[in-house]
Amino acid sequence: MSIKKLNLVLMAILIALPSMIFSQEKLTGLQIIQKVYDRPTGKDQNGELVMSLINSRGNQRVRKIKQFVKDFGNMEKKIMFFTSPADVNNTSFMNWSYNEKGKDDDQWIYLPALKKVKRISSDSKSDYFMGSDFTYDDLGDRHPASDKHKLLREEKFNGEDCYVIESIPNEEEYMYSRTVTWIVKDKWIGQKKEFYDEDGEHLKTLSVKKYEKIKDYWILLDSEMHNVQKDHTTKMELSNVKVDTGIPASKFTERMMKRGI
Amino acid sequence: MRHLHGKTISVVFISLLFATVLNANSVDLSGYARTYAGALLRGDNDYIIQNTFNLNIEHSRDKVAFKANPYIYHYPNLELDIGLREAYMDIYFNTVDIRIGKQQVIWGKADGVFITDIVSPKDLSEFLLRDFDEIRMGITSVKLDYYLGDNTFEIVWAPIFTSTQMPDENSIWRPEMDFPMAPVFDNSKKDVDMNIKNSEVFVKYSRISSVIDFEIMGGYMWDDDPAMHITKKINPQNNQLTGITVTPRHHRLGVGGGSFTSTVGPLVLRGEGAFYYGKYFNSEDMTLVDGVIEKNYIHYLAGVDFTVRDIHFSTQFVQQAILDYDEQIKNDQFENTITAMAFRDFLRETLRLELFSYIGLNNYDALVRPKITYKLTDGFTLLLGANLFVGSEGNFGQYDENDMIYLKVRYDF
Repeated sequence: MSIKKLNLVLMAILIALPSMIFSQEKLTGLQIIQKVYDRPTGKDQNGELVMSLINSRGNQRVRKIKQFVKDFGNMEKKIMFFTSPADVNNTSFMNWSYNEKGKDDDQWIYLPALKKVKRISSDSKSDYFMGSDFTYDDLGDRHPASDKHKLLREEKFNGEDCYVIESIPNEEEYMYSRTVTWIVKDKWIGQKKEFYDEDGEHLKTLSVKKYEKIKDYWILLDSEMHNVQKDHTTKMELSNVKVDTGIPASKFTERMMKRGI
Repeated sequence: MRHLHGKTISVVFISLLFATVLNANSVDLSGYARTYAGALLRGDNDYIIQNTFNLNIEHSRDKVAFKANPYIYHYPNLELDIGLREAYMDIYFNTVDIRIGKQQVIWGKADGVFITDIVSPKDLSEFLLRDFDEIRMGITSVKLDYYLGDNTFEIVWAPIFTSTQMPDENSIWRPEMDFPMAPVFDNSKKDVDMNIKNSEVFVKYSRISSVIDFEIMGGYMWDDDPAMHITKKINPQNNQLTGITVTPRHHRLGVGGGSFTSTVGPLVLRGEGAFYYGKYFNSEDMTLVDGVIEKNYIHYLAGVDFTVRDIHFSTQFVQQAILDYDEQIKNDQFENTITAMAFRDFLRETLRLELFSYIGLNNYDALVRPKITYKLTDGFTLLLGANLFVGSEGNFGQYDENDMIYLKVRYDF
């Protein structure tokens, strides 16, 4: 390399370095949450979900679900088939969520006893999903614009460098007064999330126990939600995850809800 | 009640044996066992005990599947009631599904009201008190569905007519029949002959979308409920009525209608309506030949579901209106009914309190059904409930003496 070229490279580094440092320092809470929201998870995904509900006495109830998700660009469609316990076997649930801010999800449930697909309101996002510690909203991708985000600090958590973000909902009546999330730098994956109730009291904690890179995507596999006020825990374990297998659009239809897996 | 026959036993036994043998080849077995004990609140506090076993046998391969749903009702001191609710095969193509055999076909968006949901006839052995999957009867038919995105075109051809299953003659659920004297029944014309000309055809187009889900349907069918043709014997000397013969007979019925459901914020709105062509109504005019009048009528509803403070509400207003009404018709020109349901889950969805009610506005009668359901563990449910009839006449008031409380214990597997 000639001296002239070396000088040019050094000049470029000198020009770029402050902006690189500045841009890393400059990341706001909103930008970090946006990166989590935008983290690619593949065009489609399917897997088997086991949800274990554990009460304070250690008694456990288990729900098993086979789920399929597909990104359609402006919307995401998800279909879930319940396989256990026996009294919900063959029940299915379909959700269409939209990127458009403020547009409500569309939801349907198929009840085999009624042999009918029923449209249900997605308004009750604060309802708990199948008696678990997860609300419907906890399970969805909350739009970053729904909250005000603030970077509290950066710290190591579970051996990973994390951003700690506080999010306060714009909606006054929302079920949580604030949440605090530990986000792994560069992976843009949440490691832990604390939820505070309307009175500002610590309500529950979501801990991610396992995540893996499948194809080129970081996928959350095992997580646990612990309600500290009721000492009740829900474990979510996702297995047999397959990404970008080309699930056809026809999987997300009334036909499949009725037919089953 | 359909009694046990040796042939039926054999069929069920072979089915069960077949299922067991095939179990090794991934046949899915599911179902439930249930004990139901109910006691009337009036009179001698008569009680009913019913044990039920319901089995679903399913198997599927890539493009084909089959399902059989045998059931057994056992009543102490009575013979077993055994039957096949469904037994069909599916063939799946890319955009077409074909289902052949005995099957329940459920249409419409209404809850607990049958307007466009007229393909499968009803089993009214216990009025409307059985679970809905037990009220719907399977029909032997061929069903073809063609799918185009979220659009579905469906056609059902039923070569064999199945009528409404009415309660036994001595049942407390036998509906009132208002005759000036005890009639003699002539059932010679009750059956519809099995031939192609007598088959039923139903068609439906449905679509689900972000904005609205809807169905449009039509049917050329037999009225599931027979018209009661009446022949009178009159003494020519004194012109006095000396006898009545009732001849139940099914008539052809044309039906066209539709239904929709949509969400507006927290509300789920629904509507359903149908026009029925050629229904025979009974007349109050005893001089009328046959005692029946043919009229068209419409049947429709509007309903809404919503949630307030974790209580889920669902209510519907239902109206049946006879067109070109004749004052001699026994039915009212307009018959108005409201259905109302409210439920709330507790203890992480293991405990549910529910109240469902049909309210008849013409006769101020009602059926009120409070229920407490508790899941002792997954798949094991205790249900304590009551059926309370209000009023003295009308669809519900006529059963005023049949108020009852009951307990159901159910094990799902």
